[in-house]
Amino acid sequence: MRNVAIVAGATTPFGVRPTTWTEMAQEIGAALFAAEPELRSEDVDSLFVGAAEPERFAFQSHVAPLAAEQMGLAPHRILQRTELACASGQSAIRSAYAAIAAGLSDVAVAVGIEKMNLPSMAEANTSMGCVMDRAWDGPHGATAPPFFAMVAQRHMLEYGTTEDQLATVSAKNHRFANTNPHAQFYSKTFDRAKLARLPMVAPPLRLGDCSSMTDGAAAVVLAAEERVSRYTDSPAWIRGTGQYSDFHNLANAGSLTDWKGLTRAAREALDRAGITIRDIDVAEIHDCFSISEIVEYEAFGWCSRGAGGKFAQDGCSDVGGDVVINPRGGLLGCGHPLGATGIAQSVEIFRQLAREVPAARQAPDPRFGLVHNLSGSANVHSIMIYEGGRAS
Amino acid sequence: MSAIAKARSASRSEDPPASGPAASSATEPSPAPKERTPDKGRAASGVPFLLDFFPLEGPEQTRVARFYERLKEGHLSTTRCRRCGSLHWPPRVACPRCHAEELDWTDLPSTGRIYAFSAVLAGAPLGMESDVPFAVGLVDLDGVPLRVFGRIDGRPWDELRVGGAVRVESFNLPDGRVFYRFRSVD
Repeated sequence: MRNVAIVAGATTPFGVRPTTWTEMAQEIGAALFAAEPELRSEDVDSLFVGAAEPERFAFQSHVAPLAAEQMGLAPHRILQRTELACASGQSAIRSAYAAIAAGLSDVAVAVGIEKMNLPSMAEANTSMGCVMDRAWDGPHGATAPPFFAMVAQRHMLEYGTTEDQLATVSAKNHRFANTNPHAQFYSKTFDRAKLARLPMVAPPLRLGDCSSMTDGAAAVVLAAEERVSRYTDSPAWIRGTGQYSDFHNLANAGSLTDWKGLTRAAREALDRAGITIRDIDVAEIHDCFSISEIVEYEAFGWCSRGAGGKFAQDGCSDVGGDVVINPRGGLLGCGHPLGATGIAQSVEIFRQLAREVPAARQAPDPRFGLVHNLSGSANVHSIMIYEGGRAS
Repeated sequence: MSAIAKARSASRSEDPPASGPAASSATEPSPAPKERTPDKGRAASGVPFLLDFFPLEGPEQTRVARFYERLKEGHLSTTRCRRCGSLHWPPRVACPRCHAEELDWTDLPSTGRIYAFSAVLAGAPLGMESDVPFAVGLVDLDGVPLRVFGRIDGRPWDELRVGGAVRVESFNLPDGRVFYRFRSVD
C-alpha cells in the first residue's frame, strides 16, 4: 500500500443558500483551485462525489459526471458517486484513499455536495425519513430527531445525564462556530441559557440539540506520497481507517446507549495507525445531535460509559481539555449538508494539523487528528485518522 | 384477501391467454393490460407513491403480502426460519442467519412494554403534518425477543412512561391498505 495524504481542502459557505446543487459544484471547484494554486485540472485523475440524496433534494441522478463538468475536471481513471447518507462525504475520502493506496489513482479529489433546503419542509423531511427502513419505520413518521431523542431518554434514565449537559455540548460547538465564517451559525450566539429556552423538537431534544438542514459543499485533494510535496509541506497523512455496521431496522439496534459499532470501528482505525485514543489531539466527531457527541466520547473511550455528560461539563472536550472535539463548530454549529459534512471535517483536521485555524479553536501542537461520521440511526460508523507532518 | 388483491384477482381472469416467450409463470403476473388497472398517479394520502411511506402491500408488489393480510385480521405476524428457528423482524423472504428461504409465518403477541419513546413536535414528513404532535417508541413485545418501533397513540406523549403497557392495533388507509400502531393501555 502506498502512503496517501490530504494536500489541499476547501469549503463553501454552509447555510440556507440561495443556490442550486449544480452551482455549488462550481463554487467548490473554484474554492479548491483557489486554495491550492499548484493544482491543475489535468493532475486530477479521479473524482469521488459524496452526495446522499441528490435525487430527493435536487431531482438529479448521475451526479458524478455532472460534478466533474461543473468543477472543471476531466477524470480519466475513476469517477463515481459514494452514498452512505450522513457519511457520504467520508465515503468519498475512504474510496479515494483506497484507490491511491492501491495504485489505481495518483491524485484524486473527494468532493461532497448537498442541497437540502426546499420550498416544502415536509418534502425535505420525507427525504430524510427514507434514510430509515422506509416500509417499516417510515410509516410511523420516524426521522432522525425522535430516534436520537430516544437515545437521550435512555442515557438520562441509565446514567442520569441532564438537559444542561446536552446544552453544554451544543454551546461549545456553537462557540467554535463563531470562529468559522463558513459555519451556518457563524454570526449567531447560543449559550446554555438561550439553548434551554428553544422549543422542543423531539423531547428531550430541543432545537439547539439538533443539527440543521443545510446547503453546502466541501472538497479535498488526496495524493500519493511521491506527489505530495508538489502541493504542500504540511500534509495530513492518512494513518488509519475503520468502519462497522451492525443493523438497519430500528428493531435491531440493541442498546441505544452503547454504540458497539463505533467502538469496533475505532479499534480497527487506531490499530491500523498503531496508536491509542489517548494519542488523538483533535477530533471532528458526528454531533448530528448533542446526545450523539456524548455517547461518542464514551464509545471512543475518552471517558467511561455513562460519564459523557460530565466529560463535556468538565471541559474535557474543549480547548485546554483532554482532546479538542469539533473545533470547526460541529454539525450543530456548521449545519449538516449530508454529503459535504465528512469532507468539511477532514478539511478542518488538515488545517488543524497545519496550525492554520484561528487561535480560539486551534488544538495545541496537534500530531494526530480523527474524523468520525455516523450515518442513519447510528447504525454505521466510519472513522479516519490523520497525522500531521512534512512531505517526504 | 384485500380489496386491492380482490380487484386484481378478479380482473386477472379477463387477461388474454399468455403465449410465446412472454408467457407468465404462476407466481410472476404478466404486465397489466391497459383495461385492467388505471394509472393511479398518487397514493390515497394525496402524495406521489414514492413520497408515501406506507408501502405497496399487495401480493403483486411484495412477497410479504401475507403480513398485511394477517394485519387486516387484527394480528401482527412475522416470519420464523424453518431451518434455524430465528425469529425475524420485520418479516423476511430469506433468513439473515442461515440464509434459508423456507420460512414460516407466526403470529406475534399483541401486547408489550415501552423501552424508549419520544414525540414528533415539528418536522413531520409529507402527509403526516396534521398528525403533529405524535408519539413514537420502541416496544419490547411480551414473551418474544423482539423490539418493534411504532407510533404510540392513546394518550399525550408527556403522559407516556418507559415500561408502560401498550397493545398493537391495526388501522386502514383510505385506499384499502393497512398498517399497525401501538396504543397506550397503561
